[in-house]
Amino acid sequence: MAGYEVFGTWVAALLTLCLMSFLYKDNPFFRFAEALFAGVSLGYYIGITLDQTLRPNLFIPLAEQGVTGDTAHLRFAGLVGLNLYTRYIPKIAWFARSSLALYVGYYVGINMVQKLQGEVLPQAAATMVDLSGDGNVMSAFNSFVMLVGVITVLMYFFFSVEHKGGFGKASRIGIWFLMLGFGAAFGYTVMGRVSLLIGRFNFIVIQWIGGTLQSLGFGG
Amino acid sequence: MSTALAKLTTIDRRWIFLLIGLGTLIPILIPIGFPVTITPPVQSIYDKIETLGENDVVVLSYDYGPTTAAENEPMADAIIRHCFLRKVKVVALALYPLGGLTAVNGSVTRVSAEFPGLQYGVDYVNLGYKDGGQASMKLLAEDFSKAFPGDTNGTPLSTLPLMQKVTGARNAQLAVSIATGVIGEWWANLINAQYGLPVAVGCTAVSAPKYYAYLEAGQMLGLIGGLKGASEYEQLLLNGYPQTKTIYSNPMLQTASKGMDVQTIDHLIIIGFIVLGNIAYFAGRRAKQA
Repeated sequence: MAGYEVFGTWVAALLTLCLMSFLYKDNPFFRFAEALFAGVSLGYYIGITLDQTLRPNLFIPLAEQGVTGDTAHLRFAGLVGLNLYTRYIPKIAWFARSSLALYVGYYVGINMVQKLQGEVLPQAAATMVDLSGDGNVMSAFNSFVMLVGVITVLMYFFFSVEHKGGFGKASRIGIWFLMLGFGAAFGYTVMGRVSLLIGRFNFIVIQWIGGTLQSLGFGG
Repeated sequence: MSTALAKLTTIDRRWIFLLIGLGTLIPILIPIGFPVTITPPVQSIYDKIETLGENDVVVLSYDYGPTTAAENEPMADAIIRHCFLRKVKVVALALYPLGGLTAVNGSVTRVSAEFPGLQYGVDYVNLGYKDGGQASMKLLAEDFSKAFPGDTNGTPLSTLPLMQKVTGARNAQLAVSIATGVIGEWWANLINAQYGLPVAVGCTAVSAPKYYAYLEAGQMLGLIGGLKGASEYEQLLLNGYPQTKTIYSNPMLQTASKGMDVQTIDHLIIIGFIVLGNIAYFAGRRAKQA
């Protein structure tokens, strides 16, 4: 590893240890690393938005093409963005709301189509399954479980009828389906968290200790 | 006996942390090599890329950051490595703000170095990061150059031969999103739904259950769920391309397969504590009743 890489690895490793020290108890090293991460994340976000989006998509085209009809949409978008900062001038702070309204309106529109066309309809269609399973017993059983699961879970979330009698029993079955779903999600969550721990331990063992020893001339 | 068991409920949780720490460290230092079984959602992504050739284009979106890199990085590396092995053209990009750019730059640089015969701009392109979420995604589906006037270094797309072959993501043969959170869903419910482009997702384990709904509905052709899914893909590459053995046996490389021993040991420890915790709880209740 080059000198700057060794330095970077040491900084990352020490910050990892600072964060892991919370497992013993809360301490200033943990808080320092936490605050540093929050600050660096924000700085990183601002930096890449400027470098990767605003510069190539707004600043350069405006500088190269100037004030022409072709750049009208860019000037409009730029002004809408700048307008957001009027909230820091108390007298005209209300003006920022127009940009926010435009922003919210755009994303509500795009999301409405996206959710209906890409989520609600295909997901609903996927629950309308062939109960015969095309002659395959396992497939038919899976379809039956899917049907019972969808209907009973929907019954559990139907609050206009009191959950007692036959309806109550069906909604209880819905709770079992929900619990199975939560169990699967929790199992995956444990696996995910363990994976992150593995990532940090691998970093400490392979890159920090192994890399440092390698750069000092020990081992291949 | 009941009282002794009940005391387990008051055990200092730092002992559990220590055991999990040891269960993680020891298998890293002394690998066991538990077998990895391949599941259909991972196999179908591998099979799809196997059908592609040097005239086909895969859009690979790095939609994750350092907080989930331990899970996402091995799967991203495996997918781009598979594409390069088959000489499939790759358009790499990032839509995740907090680290997507670092992820795409790191992975493309790391894996392309294994294939010195491949040429930047002809065989693969790194478009870098773009802000804007769904708005950018919709633009790049229509025309890459509208969202990305240049690649990650600012080189105009019009000067890159690969970008002459593929106008927008909708003209590609496959889109793969390696995602944390919601961006992988957008590829399914926006790009697949509106343009019919086959979409595959590699997601974190935490997100996997919700992605199964898209998989079951046929909105995604495959799913790599967490580190386990990534290790399956690595295994498929090792089986299909024996030359990758030299890459995956590199002791300095972080791979998903190396983490699976730890997963097994740590899960056994966690299951053991769940069983013990329940026994201790019921023993405590019995002791109170007595």
